[in-house]
Amino acid sequence: MVKTQFRILYRQFLFRIVDVELLSAQGETSKLLGQFASLLVFLGMIFSFPLWALTGDDLPARARLLASWELEHFLIATTMLIVGLFAVLSWDSTLPDQRDVLVLAPLPVRASTMFLAKVAAIATGLAVTVAILNVLPGIPAPLAFAPLNSGLIGLPRSFAAYWITIFAAGAFILCCVLGLQGLAAQVLPRRQFLRVSSFLQIAAFCLFVSAYFLQPSLTSLEALTAAENQYWLACLPSYWFLGLFQQLNGSMQPALAPLAVRAWEGLAIAGSATAFVYSLSYFRMLGRIAEEPDIVPRFRRWRWLPGLGGSLETAIGQFSIRTLLRSRKHRLILAFYLGIGLALTILFVGLLVNLQQPRVGSVNILWREPNAGMLLSSVIIMFFGVLGTRVGFAMPLDLTANWIFRVTPVGGVTECLQANRRALLVLAVTPVWVGSAVIFLWLWPWWPAVGHLAVLAILGIAAAEVALAGFRKIPFTCSYLPGKSNLHLTFWLCVLALGLLVDQGAVLELHALWHPASCAVMIAILLIALALARKRTVVQTKSEALEFEDAPPPAVMVLGLHQD
Amino acid sequence: MLELRSVCKRFPAVTAVDNVSFSARPGEVTGYLGPNGSGKSTTLKMITGLIGMTSGEILFDGGRIHRDLLNFKRRFGYVPEEPHLYSHLTGLEYLVMVGQLRGLPSKRTAERIDGLLQLLGLHGSRHSPLSAYSKGMRQKVLLSAALLHNPDLILLDEPFSGLDVTSALVIRNLLKEMARRGKVVLLSSHELETVERVCTRVVILHRAKVVADDSIERLRTLMALPTLEDIFSQLAVEQDPVSISRQIVDLVFA
Repeated sequence: MVKTQFRILYRQFLFRIVDVELLSAQGETSKLLGQFASLLVFLGMIFSFPLWALTGDDLPARARLLASWELEHFLIATTMLIVGLFAVLSWDSTLPDQRDVLVLAPLPVRASTMFLAKVAAIATGLAVTVAILNVLPGIPAPLAFAPLNSGLIGLPRSFAAYWITIFAAGAFILCCVLGLQGLAAQVLPRRQFLRVSSFLQIAAFCLFVSAYFLQPSLTSLEALTAAENQYWLACLPSYWFLGLFQQLNGSMQPALAPLAVRAWEGLAIAGSATAFVYSLSYFRMLGRIAEEPDIVPRFRRWRWLPGLGGSLETAIGQFSIRTLLRSRKHRLILAFYLGIGLALTILFVGLLVNLQQPRVGSVNILWREPNAGMLLSSVIIMFFGVLGTRVGFAMPLDLTANWIFRVTPVGGVTECLQANRRALLVLAVTPVWVGSAVIFLWLWPWWPAVGHLAVLAILGIAAAEVALAGFRKIPFTCSYLPGKSNLHLTFWLCVLALGLLVDQGAVLELHALWHPASCAVMIAILLIALALARKRTVVQTKSEALEFEDAPPPAVMVLGLHQD
Repeated sequence: MLELRSVCKRFPAVTAVDNVSFSARPGEVTGYLGPNGSGKSTTLKMITGLIGMTSGEILFDGGRIHRDLLNFKRRFGYVPEEPHLYSHLTGLEYLVMVGQLRGLPSKRTAERIDGLLQLLGLHGSRHSPLSAYSKGMRQKVLLSAALLHNPDLILLDEPFSGLDVTSALVIRNLLKEMARRGKVVLLSSHELETVERVCTRVVILHRAKVVADDSIERLRTLMALPTLEDIFSQLAVEQDPVSISRQIVDLVFA
């Protein structure tokens, strides 16, 4: 009986990790999971290429050692990032919710059975994520990382070391997130916990993304032994697991030994503390949910929102603002993109400081003169702000409630495009522009600051136009149809290409800002680009009916070579 | 007048609405009855444009609604079967949004919303998110949203579910009053007693087809049955309820 209950609950909890409520009627959970899996396999495939290059004998021993440390650390850090994101995204499904209690409490199911099923489901989710990401790098990894002259035992040992380390690193991050969640649930009253949860999620998201992008590269013997780096090594768990891998692999350098010890200690502390706190909070929460409702609404002091043009624009704009501000899921999506943008910004500003500080002597002087790093940073934040908001627009909230938009006379796609445009401008472009205006007008001379703000405004509006091309929906109201992983991959490649373009653009802009004639030409060119982007968006979005169900891609592709 | 002519809706495995024709006139509350799964909600969804028809036509004031669906949407108010609302909005924000989507003048709409919330007893909780509303309160918000633009046609799918006695009485009288002032009211409900009190005319569906379409008085006379419940049982109930309940008890005790 208990075994059957465990099996049923395990399956339920495992598939609850995915939020099926946002799926289109034509969408399947398996497709959504397949899409995630294909994305992870694709990443793994890219990671495996340099590993294959390391398996040859053409590299000198020292270069091979350094490259293998670099790659080992990269794979460990990436796995930790992915697991961290997985843990934050499945935050809501790790502790019991009201639905669990309402459905299961009247049934003769023991709380311990529910708990074990939940733990098993989380562990399965972790194992599957780690395994899929590492399935392709895991093939050449033993060949690349096995110590030279390790004999026959070297390969299987390296294979086992790789997988043990990867799973241990993933388990460590998952335990940290669960531990944090358990601790917060334990310390705070339930309603406070629910309120604080969204901030904790966003903080964890930003921490993982920033740590991944900003951690210094310390994969040489000199860097690992340097006294000034010991603080970083003590703070960055990805390096602890690099030490652990070396220990298990039989290729341990004395410099890495303390890191391996730290990895074991960290794993033991995180594992035992999480087991204690999480189990305690799980059982306590089961009791509390039955007694207390979810978040009790607060009286809202700030209710006023500005009009955004006509009544339709105002309705859609205000609905979008309220949804983005109040929906934890959507805030998390935006935080993810802004986190990446912020990390890249810090990276560029750091590079600028490192490169230019010797020339000017003081960081204060450096900030106060126009520089490419700050230009680039503001454009990147603008771009990721627009991108994150646009991705959020496509994710539905409360699909069953979208009938109100379908029975009211909201008009066609053209009317809604204007409303969506304004919503995107208000939610993404304006805050970034205003923030940038404060910083640039405060720090820089008047003329270059105004010039850049004009450029930033045009770029922001153009980014919003490009983002809305083909968007025939009202934000947050259309279901999501999985199975478009190729589209997402193309999209990220475009982001990469755009990054390179922005980099070159910042150098050109810096030059133009000192020359009014060049600045005028630059702004004219950008305005033309904006007009073209706007025209393209209008053409691509032309349709009679608004979409409330994400449609599958056409089975037959039309080339459109006919003449109308 | 709302008129349905040979309306059909076929899903891949089932015909939900089969050749349904009836009309609902101004000044009357038309009851739309039928057992579960007989096609009532599907019909209402087709009238609102939420789902398409397989065949047939729907006319309002003589014009086909699908010729100018946008204009038709301006003229009806709809209370759906399930009180699905955007629960992250407050009651007031939701109604303001509906008013804006309908393009109503903001000042007049604000006054109307305020009045509706006062009269329906929601004014005190107008700043609370809809997630905190009870089912009955949500039902009142839906009703307010449906009446906000003074529609010519009012479509109601189980509007009494979750309402307390007083509210149910208010809405019952409200529907009668709206009809008296020339509105077309189509009411789908399982509450036969309420329908009998409110409606002047009923359309009864059974297995996706219309089996009766007449005034309640005339049906009583024609079928020589005293109540609407008896008429409904005769036309749309296939199994003997007493026998079914006895079988269930036997099954549970076995």
